[in-house]
Amino acid sequence: MASLGRPIAQGGTAGARRQGLRLPAVNWWLVAAIAVFAIGAALPVLQSSATTSRGFDIRAVEQRQAELRGEIATLEAQIAAQSSLERVRQRAEAMGLRPSSEPIVVSVDVPGPEPARIPAEYLPEAVPTPERPDSWWRSLLKWLPLPE
Amino acid sequence: MAFEPAQRTGRVWLPAAGFGLFGLLVLARLVQLQVLDHPEFAAKAASEMVAADTLYARRGAILDRNGHPLALTVDTWDVYVSARAWRNESAAVRASEALAKAIGGDAFTIRQRVREHESGDILVARDIPFEVGRELERQGIPGVTLLPNIGRAHPEGDLGASVIGFIGADNSGLAGIEAALDSLLGGTPGRAIFERDSAGRPIPLGRYVARQPVPGADVVLTIDRRLQELAERELRNAIEEHRATGGALIIMDPNTGEILALASEPSFRYSTLDLSREDQLELLRNRAVTDLYEPGSVMKVITAAAALDAGVVTPNTSYVDTGVAWVAGVPIRNWDYNVYGTQTMTGVLQHSINTGAIFMAERLGAERFHQYLDAFGFGRRTGVELQGETPGIFRRPSDPDWSPVDLATQSFGQAISVTPLQMAVAFAAAINGGRLLEPHVVRGYVLPDGTWRPVEPKVIDQAISPQTSATLRQMLGAVVDPGWYHPANPRYYTAGGKSGTANVPVVNGYNDRQIASFVGFAPLQNPRILVMVKLDDNADLQTGTQAAGPVFARVVDEALRYLGVPPEKEPEGGR
Repeated sequence: MASLGRPIAQGGTAGARRQGLRLPAVNWWLVAAIAVFAIGAALPVLQSSATTSRGFDIRAVEQRQAELRGEIATLEAQIAAQSSLERVRQRAEAMGLRPSSEPIVVSVDVPGPEPARIPAEYLPEAVPTPERPDSWWRSLLKWLPLPE
Repeated sequence: MAFEPAQRTGRVWLPAAGFGLFGLLVLARLVQLQVLDHPEFAAKAASEMVAADTLYARRGAILDRNGHPLALTVDTWDVYVSARAWRNESAAVRASEALAKAIGGDAFTIRQRVREHESGDILVARDIPFEVGRELERQGIPGVTLLPNIGRAHPEGDLGASVIGFIGADNSGLAGIEAALDSLLGGTPGRAIFERDSAGRPIPLGRYVARQPVPGADVVLTIDRRLQELAERELRNAIEEHRATGGALIIMDPNTGEILALASEPSFRYSTLDLSREDQLELLRNRAVTDLYEPGSVMKVITAAAALDAGVVTPNTSYVDTGVAWVAGVPIRNWDYNVYGTQTMTGVLQHSINTGAIFMAERLGAERFHQYLDAFGFGRRTGVELQGETPGIFRRPSDPDWSPVDLATQSFGQAISVTPLQMAVAFAAAINGGRLLEPHVVRGYVLPDGTWRPVEPKVIDQAISPQTSATLRQMLGAVVDPGWYHPANPRYYTAGGKSGTANVPVVNGYNDRQIASFVGFAPLQNPRILVMVKLDDNADLQTGTQAAGPVFARVVDEALRYLGVPPEKEPEGGR
């Protein structure tokens, strides 16, 4: 009695069709090697991309820092100009004050008032700016062992 | 078939030796390049790849004694235009009009300025305000480039310009405190290293700061802005009133040497400063420390101080004034050709009698008189921080052309040249207990880390004893308040002082121009301020008492009121 060297396909023609489309056996070692190679090749690109991106961020922050310093200096100059003698005189005249001709001196035992300070207590309280959420692709980069 | 064994031969060694030698040569060359010449090639590579940038340190501020800013650093921009980018006429017109609108000025003039050059970036505006520059950046006008710079803002305008000074285009100080303390104010520039690509552009993250810039220290002056304004105003008014060509007004604390105000005319103004004009260069020096003059009768105070301290006279020592003193056959008369008869030493100061000053100097003798002049700091610089100070000059007995007449004339302030500041410092020593102090305009420094470093008063010499000084104060009080009207007598405070009216020396004599001055202090018993007023070449020919005396009185009244000193007198009608 003759025998087949392989099991009879179940399901007739459908089984045959499956046989015809059968994929070659996967060599997982090869897949792993390709994956390692691909990651290895992509890693420098990703690193370079991240580095460039951070570089531009740093430049932008430095630029912003320089702008803020400039603004601070300008504001300091404006405050100084607002408290200049000329400005004080103009304000006093606008309020109807005039230099006294004959001063009246009154001796008191109480010390004088504290020198006027910049009214920091009247300045609006600084509101912390919420951090901007990272873009999705940038969050992926956090998984990579990149230098901080 | 049999093979004949090869014969041993030495030919193989020939190529082997050749290759070996070649290998050695290559190796030697490698050692030379990579080991011996490594530093040179490494440097070459680095110079190709790496560039450096200067990080400018922030210049410190200059503040008055109460912390009010007198000079501040602000960020500015220098505007450059690319000549190449403006070659197209219509583009240049559009760009120049936009630029002129932003920075001010005339578009045509800007275009003309750029057209004078074939290529390159042309500076068209310097130190434009920070906000204007940012707006220009946002506009992105073709061909326009902005480079950051710093400028100085002066919130008080022209106030104290002759003391504060200014900085030049390279941001280093050129005059005043800006120049004298330039290294301290300017800080230390930093250095940034950056790697660049083949086109010379900086590589992101290839930049690092090799040395952080250290900002300059803030300088706190002894100058009080209100007193400075008072001094400048009074000096300007006096110059105008007496038609003088210039002058100086100094307010100082006689106990510490702190200069509270220092006005000098003529001087430059920030608002009109133009260094391209030669006549403006004349205005840059602070005449209160650079220019010499003969002090005239103010010097009698020093003569009296020396004579009292040496014990050769007392305030009540009397002598007879005949109106003339004969010295080495030369007649020397009183300034007003008057004859005062019997006078005390206090009377000599009250009436400013030349023969009385000669009387005191002759009792002292030339050697001792000059020892006192040295002790009062004449003939040498005071040590104030301002630049260009002159030491002054006077003839000594050891000089070949010395004559006894020199001693006589020096006793009342001729044949001796001093600076206004020197005279003020010597006068302060005479009335502050005898201590000659180093004057200073800097009260202290705020270092970049916030540390406060004060400038302590420095005693240079004990010129006279405290007792002599106290006696002299009383004598000078009698000068200002002789029992009758005196123009230099303040309305609200007791004071002491002495006037001086001296002709201007020329070769072989004096011309008819004069310098009127008054130096005094107040309050009499516990001096808080010393005021020195000097008017140059006043055309109305009023004396020191008449011209400078009232200025002294007004300054004392206003300054002491501002300093919170309670009035000592009830005012008696108008002055």
